[in-house]
Amino acid sequence: MSKRYRQWVKEYQDQAWTVARYILKDAQEAEDATQEAFVKLWHNRDNIDPNRVKPWLMKVTRNGCLDRLRRRRESVEFDESYMASEVSGPMQDAAAGETNLWLKRAISSLKEPYRSLVVLRDVNQHSYEEVAGMLELNLAQVKTYLHRARKQLREQLAEVRP
Amino acid sequence: MNEYDEKWEEKINALLDGELGQADAELLKSEASDDRELARAIVEAYQLQQAMENIKAERAPASLTRKLNAIPRKESANPWFGFLQPRWAMALAAIPLVLFSVSLMQPETPSADEIAKARHEMAIAFAYLGKAGVITGREIESTVGGTLSDAVTGSVNKANQSQNSHFQEKEA
Repeated sequence: MSKRYRQWVKEYQDQAWTVARYILKDAQEAEDATQEAFVKLWHNRDNIDPNRVKPWLMKVTRNGCLDRLRRRRESVEFDESYMASEVSGPMQDAAAGETNLWLKRAISSLKEPYRSLVVLRDVNQHSYEEVAGMLELNLAQVKTYLHRARKQLREQLAEVRP
Repeated sequence: MNEYDEKWEEKINALLDGELGQADAELLKSEASDDRELARAIVEAYQLQQAMENIKAERAPASLTRKLNAIPRKESANPWFGFLQPRWAMALAAIPLVLFSVSLMQPETPSADEIAKARHEMAIAFAYLGKAGVITGREIESTVGGTLSDAVTGSVNKANQSQNSHFQEKEA
């Protein structure tokens, strides 16, 4: 079982981390939230359908992050510029790097469930059906909300692009 | 967002997802050639899609990978963790209450004198029952015949024996 769990870590840690990172906008808290989700996965490993581990984990990660956001909301005004200071890795070129950076910040600034929809579908590349299961929405709702989210993003993108 | 927007948004997204049929794609193209707003929306959506393709799932930091891989060892070394979940804590807290309620529902334990008295009364009752069985058997035998009489006497005696042994077991 531990071997299977390690396989799950290998396959899903980046996606769970990405969800937490975009929602929480704080590396340390995202790390804690991802860890909590995997602890729950470990404790529920015998009760989860092996074919449903990924959606289960993404849903638990997202819910954990939203809980943290609710607890945090009143107490701390968060620094929205986090991505600018924490982007790492090689960039193709300065312009592409700037657009990536801008887009990440724009996605993080979306309201729920738009933000989660864009992260799960467009960043993590889950299928529409998987996203619907993760967010407990029907397929039509997923598509409609995603269209709205993308429209917001592309309107913002058009404003910043020359 | 009005109905008009929703309709075109759906088509634009379907186009970019590669899910728009040939006929709908032609219709969209034809509409866009007359509608500058729609044409711009399609171009912007395409640009967004291009930008999105450069954004991948972020790589989890090595520190997180180490923590995640350590979970089975940590959690197995601490089996009480699962037990200390809220639902278990609530269940544990409920145990004294349940025990108290059950004790209230239990009859009071009889004293030794009461047990002796009950035993004596039961013995008398069984003796009467045995006697009644024999008398009834005789009456039936005289009217119906021996076979039925044996059956009745046998069943009454069997019931008496069963009651007696149950009573003795309880006493023990």
